Amino acid sequence: MIEVRDIAKSFGRVRAVRGVSFDVGRGEVAGLLGANGAGKTTTLRMITGFLPPDAGVIRIVGLDMAQQSVEARRRIGYLPESAPAYSEMLARDYLTYRARLFGMDRRAVRARVGHVMDRCGLGPVARRRIGHLSKGFRQRVGLASALLHDPEVLVLDEPTNGLDPAQIRAARELIKELAQDRTVLISSHILPEIELVCDRVIIMAAGRVRADGRVSELLAGSDDLARYYVEIRPKADGVGTAGEAAVELVRAIRGVRSARLNGRHGEWAKVTIDAERGAGDLREPIAVAAGRAGALVRELHADKPSLERLFLRIMETEETPGGGENREERR
Amino acid sequence: MRAVQVIAVREFASFFRLPVGWVVIALYLLLTGLVFGAMVLRPGEAASLRSFFGWANWLLLPIAPAVSMRLFSEETRSGTAEGLMTAPVSDAAVVMGKFAGGGMFLAALLLPTLVYVVVLGGASDPAPDPGPIVAGYLSLVLVSGLYLSIGLLASSLTSNQTLAFIGTLLGLVIVLMVTSTASGWAPAWLADLLAALSIPARVGDFAKGVIDTGNVVFFVAATAWFLVLTYVAVGSRRWR
Repeated sequence: MIEVRDIAKSFGRVRAVRGVSFDVGRGEVAGLLGANGAGKTTTLRMITGFLPPDAGVIRIVGLDMAQQSVEARRRIGYLPESAPAYSEMLARDYLTYRARLFGMDRRAVRARVGHVMDRCGLGPVARRRIGHLSKGFRQRVGLASALLHDPEVLVLDEPTNGLDPAQIRAARELIKELAQDRTVLISSHILPEIELVCDRVIIMAAGRVRADGRVSELLAGSDDLARYYVEIRPKADGVGTAGEAAVELVRAIRGVRSARLNGRHGEWAKVTIDAERGAGDLREPIAVAAGRAGALVRELHADKPSLERLFLRIMETEETPGGGENREERR
Repeated sequence: MRAVQVIAVREFASFFRLPVGWVVIALYLLLTGLVFGAMVLRPGEAASLRSFFGWANWLLLPIAPAVSMRLFSEETRSGTAEGLMTAPVSDAAVVMGKFAGGGMFLAALLLPTLVYVVVLGGASDPAPDPGPIVAGYLSLVLVSGLYLSIGLLASSLTSNQTLAFIGTLLGLVIVLMVTSTASGWAPAWLADLLAALSIPARVGDFAKGVIDTGNVVFFVAATAWFLVLTYVAVGSRRWR
């Protein structure tokens, strides 16, 4: 439904997007992740026809965005970042205007405006000026506007921005419901949010796609992303502090990539442990090693590989010299 | 066509949702009303609206840019341009819709001045000659359209309304000055050319009650030219 082939976009000397390709199929909910400035919004703006790519092809439901732009745009419901809307208009009037802009006749306008207002819980603010609405309601007006023409493709840029936790939950439910018969592309930097809603994630950094796939696939085989926390009391040997002894003890365990002291309570040391790739579950080896060394463990738990850790690792490789050629080119 | 209408109606209505629309209309009517009372409606004076049309035309100079300045700038500044430009409407429809919306507002501004015609008709004997009045209103409409199209171009080039206003006003003043004074300083061939571009000279013809096809074509063509430039500017923004 959304086909993106090798698109690129520069603003002056800044190469915001450089050779991005992906597909999002019917009924799929894909999350576009990336740090600020990774090129997410620029990518979405190209997909929705607001910005033309310098190179590459975008197709929406098979329609080429460059050749059949108006037809392609008709298939998309787009919520731009921070949901801009005419602040002097009443919420209902704004939605009516948008519906007419999409070419609906009078009867369809009334029916659809009523429907999306119900769906997004806008009844109480129908006759309020958009400029006087809270950020959460404004966001919902934007979402309602994106749903008006019952589009096949939904593109949402930071849809939960500015919502409170209850509203985020409601928005999440709504998006899941909408996704049943639609293609949805959501950008966000709230990772747990994406994990809950999306079947699939596309991670961008420095204008490129760095990872693309189902969350479970991306995390499979990356047990080096697992992290362990242990609170340990080493046997006093009179040499060095309890902290140093604890870290040393843990470091010696096979499969431990790194260990560092993360706080102390008297003789108890808190140690954070990162695993090597293929290390498997390290909880047992840690417990066994501690027992052998005569140390006591009063807490031991593992953080499974998470999207957040994967994301952070991608960000880290971006920042190391040579990892991100972006810096070189921007200099 | 439908999209042009939808956009135009929204623009027109939004002038009245904001205080600025009412203030502009009130100011225009106050000033033209003063002209009418002080210079037109005088005992012994010939029944003619000539001085009213003269002033009404000059007053458009600051008013038309005030109307046009927000049409595109505000969309760019507030980000609503993104919603508009990703809707299934062509750039041409957006430009025409904005122009028509501003034009409708200027029409709403001129409409109440018809009261002056009625009052003058009632107060004078013999009744005023309708020719110059029709020609005078035609000149107001044509000048409004031209100023508006120039202002629309300025508005499409910046997200700053003030800059769009000052740019349009300054541009108009410079054009008026250069074309009106050309005979004094330019070589003959250039002076002729510049004189042909003089808006006040053409407005003067209308004021005499003469509807010259050449004058009408001049205003319509110039307006169309600036609308095309605006269309190109909007498109280039999208394709930058």
